[in-house]
Amino acid sequence: MTAVRPYIEFAKVAFTREATYRFEVFTSIGSLLVRVYLFRMVWQALYFHNAGIRALTLEEAITYSTVALLMSLVMDIDQTRLLVSKLEDGSIATDFMKPINIPLYFFSDGSGEVIFHAATIVPSLLLALLIVHIQVPSPLVLVVFFFSFFLGYIVGLLLNFILNCVAFWTLEISAMQLIVTWITDLLGGEVIPLVFFPPIVQGFIYVLPFAAMYSTPLLIYVGTIGPDEYVRVLLLQVMWIVIFAIASVLMWRFGSRQVVVQGG
Amino acid sequence: MPIIETRRLRKVFRSVQRYPGVGGALRSLFTREYVDKVAVEDVNLTMEAGELVGYIGPNGAGKSTTIKMLTGILVPTSGEIHVAGLVPYQKRKENARNIGVVFGQRSQLYWDLPLRESFELLRAIYAVPRAKYDANMAFFSEILDLDEFMTTPVRQLSLGQRMRGDFAAAMLHDPSIVYLDEPTIGLDVVAKEAIRTFIAKVNEERGTTVILTTHDLADVERLCQRIVLIDDGRIVFDGALERLRMEYGTHRTLVVTLAEPCDNLTFPHTELVEQEANVVHLRFDRRKITAEHLLRLVTERCTISDVSIVEPEMEDIIRRIYLEGYRTQAPTPAS
Repeated sequence: MTAVRPYIEFAKVAFTREATYRFEVFTSIGSLLVRVYLFRMVWQALYFHNAGIRALTLEEAITYSTVALLMSLVMDIDQTRLLVSKLEDGSIATDFMKPINIPLYFFSDGSGEVIFHAATIVPSLLLALLIVHIQVPSPLVLVVFFFSFFLGYIVGLLLNFILNCVAFWTLEISAMQLIVTWITDLLGGEVIPLVFFPPIVQGFIYVLPFAAMYSTPLLIYVGTIGPDEYVRVLLLQVMWIVIFAIASVLMWRFGSRQVVVQGG
Repeated sequence: MPIIETRRLRKVFRSVQRYPGVGGALRSLFTREYVDKVAVEDVNLTMEAGELVGYIGPNGAGKSTTIKMLTGILVPTSGEIHVAGLVPYQKRKENARNIGVVFGQRSQLYWDLPLRESFELLRAIYAVPRAKYDANMAFFSEILDLDEFMTTPVRQLSLGQRMRGDFAAAMLHDPSIVYLDEPTIGLDVVAKEAIRTFIAKVNEERGTTVILTTHDLADVERLCQRIVLIDDGRIVFDGALERLRMEYGTHRTLVVTLAEPCDNLTFPHTELVEQEANVVHLRFDRRKITAEHLLRLVTERCTISDVSIVEPEMEDIIRRIYLEGYRTQAPTPAS
């Protein structure tokens, strides 16, 4: 099929490009291990002083944080940020002159990057096991976890794409992105499991798209979300994907009509 | 049927009003006043297949904006535009298959990749059959000398090499129309010549329609039969290069070498523009006085040892039009 050929090529190019930054790979794994260790210390300290909340055991909390950090190796990648840099320097012009679907081009390029970084999860996991002990759930739970992780990844990908499209109007989005990152850090459940939040706010936070990114797959992993709730939480993730996909299409359609090519 | 046709094409850019200074910066945070800048006011352009047109004008005249509307990057504010039967901004991808573009200031090659892999990627994008690709590459390599740097990453190429690569990249899929936006900018004489030869060959041998924007009038003189002059977003001249020379090259210069000093060098409709030792440059309006008449007046008064007539340079003609504007000097045919 010639129609998909170019996109596979774009992904390959991005994969090769990422592979040339060896130093970055080592530092990202190194910093991950440091954080795994820090989280272990923090949870141990909190649980020894009885500050831990009974929603998770100490071992579950450590497992939760370690898996969250491993997920962040791919979740933290903004697959479509190429759009913003291309708008900034005006090189988007040359992409518009090619017979390609441009959002798909950005997604393919990002996919190559993501696939490369996903490959670093395995060595990171093996090294992390030297520092912490993590629980391994049953194969069924693992399958559901990976599926939910994938859905969560798509939610994040689309959210980032929508933010990147704002650059069509503003060119500059870093402040806005920072705010969204903070909100995601707080309400996504990457750092603090959402089960630790006061019960009144919990019901509300679980419905937000941020929870769909990290919290849902992680709570499936540690077993807080049981099999009877799988359908409901997965559907909630799918709902956010649908909403964000529609928003993405609209943002792209109106945004790309706004193009002002920078510099000549 | 013309391959390119625009009617009353207009593009207005809207931007937020900025005020000077720190106070102004704060003020523009809270007020939303817009300023409209008209980049293209009214462009009516018709081109037949196989034409090679020089599209020239001063900086900010609207050349690049026109090209960007023709390629489908920019949506016109109003007016009609058809390229090979398509409306570019509505059928961007289909249009992209028909066109090739070279920007002198911007590369479409992939920065991280060796040149050859950039071409391979483009082959995938345009789905160029292998045999066609090989034939084209052979043709391009011969004129553009690509072989010596085919395996070099694009980021390491010199400007001249990169431009040659960009030309090949733009022509790889046999586009019927090629837009060249200042393709010779910053190149040395040798590279310029290679590029010009390439443009001429592609136009002649493949019948490719070419729009060339440039500030280097040598490009235009060498390549274009027809030139379109744009100023302030409007087309101010559209016709043969020769016609422009006839209508605007109204002044010539008579260069006289005096055999002995001569005091009075004022003649009717003539201006003494330069005098260096015994060589005198007399600029005259050929509509009002013939060279022969002027020469007679000179010889009546002075003894001369040599004489020549300098035709107006294209450069001077264009500069005059830019400076004085087109409409202020209604062309009167030469008598």
